[in-house]
Amino acid sequence: MAERVFAGKLQRAGFADVWVGGQQPFGIDQAALYPLFTPEVIQVMRDTIPADHQAHVATGVIVKARRPQ
Amino acid sequence: MARDLMFQQEIKETVQRAYAAITGGAGETVARRHYRDHELAEVPPGAVQWALGVGNPVRYARLQPGQTVLDVGSGGGIDTILAARRVGPEGRAIGLDVLEEMCERARRHAAQAGVEGWTEFRRGEMEDIPLPDASVDVAISNGVLNLSARKSRALAEIFRVLAPGGRICMADLTVEGDLPPEVANDQSAWAG
Repeated sequence: MAERVFAGKLQRAGFADVWVGGQQPFGIDQAALYPLFTPEVIQVMRDTIPADHQAHVATGVIVKARRPQ
Repeated sequence: MARDLMFQQEIKETVQRAYAAITGGAGETVARRHYRDHELAEVPPGAVQWALGVGNPVRYARLQPGQTVLDVGSGGGIDTILAARRVGPEGRAIGLDVLEEMCERARRHAAQAGVEGWTEFRRGEMEDIPLPDASVDVAISNGVLNLSARKSRALAEIFRVLAPGGRICMADLTVEGDLPPEVANDQSAWAG
């Protein structure tokens, strides 16, 4: 899910003051530390994602919003 | 019966099956990326080992003593326990997780942390949160919304349980552009 899609879903749910920040790159090596990513899918990622993108396949973000009064 | 054109049930079952099969979290190496030493010192080692999040929503949530906080997808309980420490015994921390065995694990960790008196863990789905309307001051989650096949429904449920003026603070992953189809179509990637 892209950042703008995430923010849009929050707005459509009724949230206000949507803020997205704290961006941190998330790469394949980091994904490999999580047990929910199987070794097979990690290998598929290594085989199919260009080498210069493998350190940043996703972005960790913090998303904040408020339910209006 | 209506056809599940978005494969929502298949995605849900795949994610839950993968989640139920894991025997540990991402461990201390990952936890140290997201939590400072003093934060890790506030939770028992088991909760650190079972950490599966991708950030530190509690640090950004500006929790205050006396608040009620909901941790959506509480896993082994690391963020719920940190939140419980911030809201204190005048407040309430509620962890929600789809697996009863994970709730049991988190209860043990909360007891080891000494916050069990104002902390509870409930089994339930983020798309159907077992809490009354407007009963929560702050909702947090950590790497969980992306696992839902019904993200808009989950956000609507969080909106429902938040009191007017209540806040949501989530850590999650975003992806810009398309992943290769071999990755996007791999069932095990849905769970990651």
